[in-house]
Amino acid sequence: MLLLPVFIFIFVACLPILYIILRAYEAGWETSINLIFRDRVYELLKNTLLLDVSVTVASMVIGVATAWCTERTNLWGRRVWNVLVTIPFAVPAFVSSYSWVSLSPIFEGFFGAFLVLTLYSYPLVHLPVAAALRGMNPSLEEVAFSAGYGPWKTFWLVTFPQMRPALFGGALLIALHTLAEFGALSLLRFDTFTTAIYDQYTMAFNGASAAMLTTVLLFLCLVFIGVELYVRGKAKYTSVGRGVSRAREQVRLGLVAPFVQLGFLVLTVLAVGIPLGRLGYWLLNGSSASFEPAELVGNLFTTLSYGLGGAVVTVIIALPLVMLSLRHRGPLSVMAERVPYVVHSLPGLVIGLTLVFFAIRYMSGIYQTSVLLIIAYVILFVPLAQSSIRASYEQAPERVEEVARSLGRKPMSVFFTVTLPLIIPGIGAAMALVCLKIMNELTATLLLRPTGVDTLAIRVWQHTANSEFAAAAPYAALLILISGVPVYILTMRSFSSKRSERV
Amino acid sequence: MMKLHTYAKKAAVAAASVMVVGALAACGNGGDNAKDGDKEKALTIYSGQHTEVTEALTKEFTKETGIKVDVREGSSNELAHQVAEEGDKSPADIIFTEETAPLVMLSEKGLLEKIDSKALDNMDDQYEDPDGTWVGLLARSRVVAYNPNVVKESELPKTVFDFAKPEWKDKVAYVPTSGAFTNQISAMIMLYGEDETKQWLEGLKKYGKQYKNNKIALDAVEKGDVGAALINNYYWDNEAKEKGADKMNSKLYYFGNGDIGDMISLSGAGIVKSSSHKEEAQKFMEFATEEKGQQVLTDTSSQYPLNSSVDTKDMKPFSELNPPKEALDLGEYSDGEQALELLQEVGLL
Repeated sequence: MLLLPVFIFIFVACLPILYIILRAYEAGWETSINLIFRDRVYELLKNTLLLDVSVTVASMVIGVATAWCTERTNLWGRRVWNVLVTIPFAVPAFVSSYSWVSLSPIFEGFFGAFLVLTLYSYPLVHLPVAAALRGMNPSLEEVAFSAGYGPWKTFWLVTFPQMRPALFGGALLIALHTLAEFGALSLLRFDTFTTAIYDQYTMAFNGASAAMLTTVLLFLCLVFIGVELYVRGKAKYTSVGRGVSRAREQVRLGLVAPFVQLGFLVLTVLAVGIPLGRLGYWLLNGSSASFEPAELVGNLFTTLSYGLGGAVVTVIIALPLVMLSLRHRGPLSVMAERVPYVVHSLPGLVIGLTLVFFAIRYMSGIYQTSVLLIIAYVILFVPLAQSSIRASYEQAPERVEEVARSLGRKPMSVFFTVTLPLIIPGIGAAMALVCLKIMNELTATLLLRPTGVDTLAIRVWQHTANSEFAAAAPYAALLILISGVPVYILTMRSFSSKRSERV
Repeated sequence: MMKLHTYAKKAAVAAASVMVVGALAACGNGGDNAKDGDKEKALTIYSGQHTEVTEALTKEFTKETGIKVDVREGSSNELAHQVAEEGDKSPADIIFTEETAPLVMLSEKGLLEKIDSKALDNMDDQYEDPDGTWVGLLARSRVVAYNPNVVKESELPKTVFDFAKPEWKDKVAYVPTSGAFTNQISAMIMLYGEDETKQWLEGLKKYGKQYKNNKIALDAVEKGDVGAALINNYYWDNEAKEKGADKMNSKLYYFGNGDIGDMISLSGAGIVKSSSHKEEAQKFMEFATEEKGQQVLTDTSSQYPLNSSVDTKDMKPFSELNPPKEALDLGEYSDGEQALELLQEVGLL
């Protein structure tokens, strides 16, 4: 029952890999080897790794710091900061990147790419880590304190291990997103595998070279996933009993407070102030801006329906995958959990081309229809849904399900009456996150969308790629505005409202 | 705690219902392209030309004939690649590209239909495929845009080859992914051989600054980030039309001596073989080649019309250009394959 959708999904998710192999096979061994082992690939490898590692590490540091300060200290204005630090998530990187470039060309290249992507990515760490900090049982830390541990030691020995899954889950997503980032890097003139693959496709008629670049990208992604598996550790986290939520002692910042406030202020100015400020400037000074409101409304509707529709389908697919990987150990469950991540790191363009390839040959009825596009979104964003749902599922005690089953409930009814209510927060977060990502998706949408249908993101991209910034402004503003809704949902609610402790 | 839970549940139910409605709506507006039964005849055009150019032309065409047009935009090469991939299932009726290389490629694969003589007769034979599977609609010239505050006109070289020299370090912008640039490379290989072309590309890679497209490269010159950029004339002409030529910080420089830096390239269109609206597609080709359509194209694109009866207004007259004559027909190099291989070899792709 549970296995059929999982099998189908794993099959579909493996299509891109099959596509790459087919392309390589077409090109022949010698060509493939020549295309992989050339100077350009080393150049791209260096760029990609440098950017990816530095963005991920910087995002982890910033995300943990902001999460800790907003959740655990008596910082003045915590709630406001909590909302402000997650806003950057609603500003697509390809929008904020131009704000910087238009300020000065020094932001082109590595430095700008690092800055823009870090400021865009850190909420992916902040959100789950803040949720984990909120859901922890204060008694554990209190015990550590009473045993004479200092704050640092307590943090590293008690708090950190509990937030590890959330932290590294977020970090892995950032690492993979950075691998697949296209729009921002294209504007910032910093080449990675993804921009090079895009260049190949817009230039070359045969996909061999791009497919070879993709194989290297796949390899990188496997490495990241391996690293994440390794550092996450083998611990299982579930809560015992419902318990009572109670207020915890807050850390008093004292003399450090002004510096923390300043830090938040600088972060907010960089991540929110500058992109939104520039956007406001274009909105007001639009000389090349001539847009038809009717068109804008049409694009808005398209964007929303793809976002919501895609999010629903993605979550429906993600649920059995998560259940399988947590409740049934075995090779299939490992695949169900990991395959989507591998595919997730592939640029949207590769997914798009794969689906074009297979749809034309075997399912020409859905070619260039919304159905195919939704399938692409599912393939691209299932891991995001998985990680949110997983976070709450991990904390839903298995025993409750076992008890229900032992009382004669059927598995389906157990799922709907026991499991589902426990993981509603995770599902909500997953919906919001996936919806947000779909609305900002660029390359797969470009390739697969029905002719004559445009989303806001595509409009923004078409204009910014030609540096028509005033013309892009209304679309970008609207996109940020509607992206704000899922981001708000994500900040308002935790991924898990329950306590957890090590079992 | 309990309170929060019931609230969360309610919220989730509400959210879920909204989402489901959204999902249905998304699936509902799915097959809204011309594929689901020909309710009305609409042409699907895959266009690599600039949005406003295609838009103006199709609008005028619909006004004239009543035939609706859906436009799918992308880069010319990408779209041609897509048509090749789609083969006999391609939903495209017309492919309109910025360069001729993608058209030649499709024509060689046998994916283009022969165009009626009515359309071909509007044009000079040298601007169309000898077999009549594609026709050039507009011409443009490669050119150097330079910023006099950074580089004096007297410092500009006599040939485009000199831009690959060390004295141009960080002062010249180029766009290796642009179709026109690739086209220029094809011509260089044909006229000067692969080695000399490769040296030029290696020099550019070492000293020049790469940009993602011509518009951004021109902006960099306007701002003074670089001294000069190798682009197509109409990028500058368009901006000058918008701002006024006297407000431009940059100027155009033609070598004027038959140098390959002043090469002419064509933007053209063809009818896709698998088209199920061939009659309408032929009408479109006819419209795009006759005076009315050509005037619309010229006015919106600042490119040169290939139908000589059209007025080009403020642009440098076509007759004053001095392009390398032998570069118009690239023969075996016209599908751009060798140029791409060379770009990959040098590591620009």
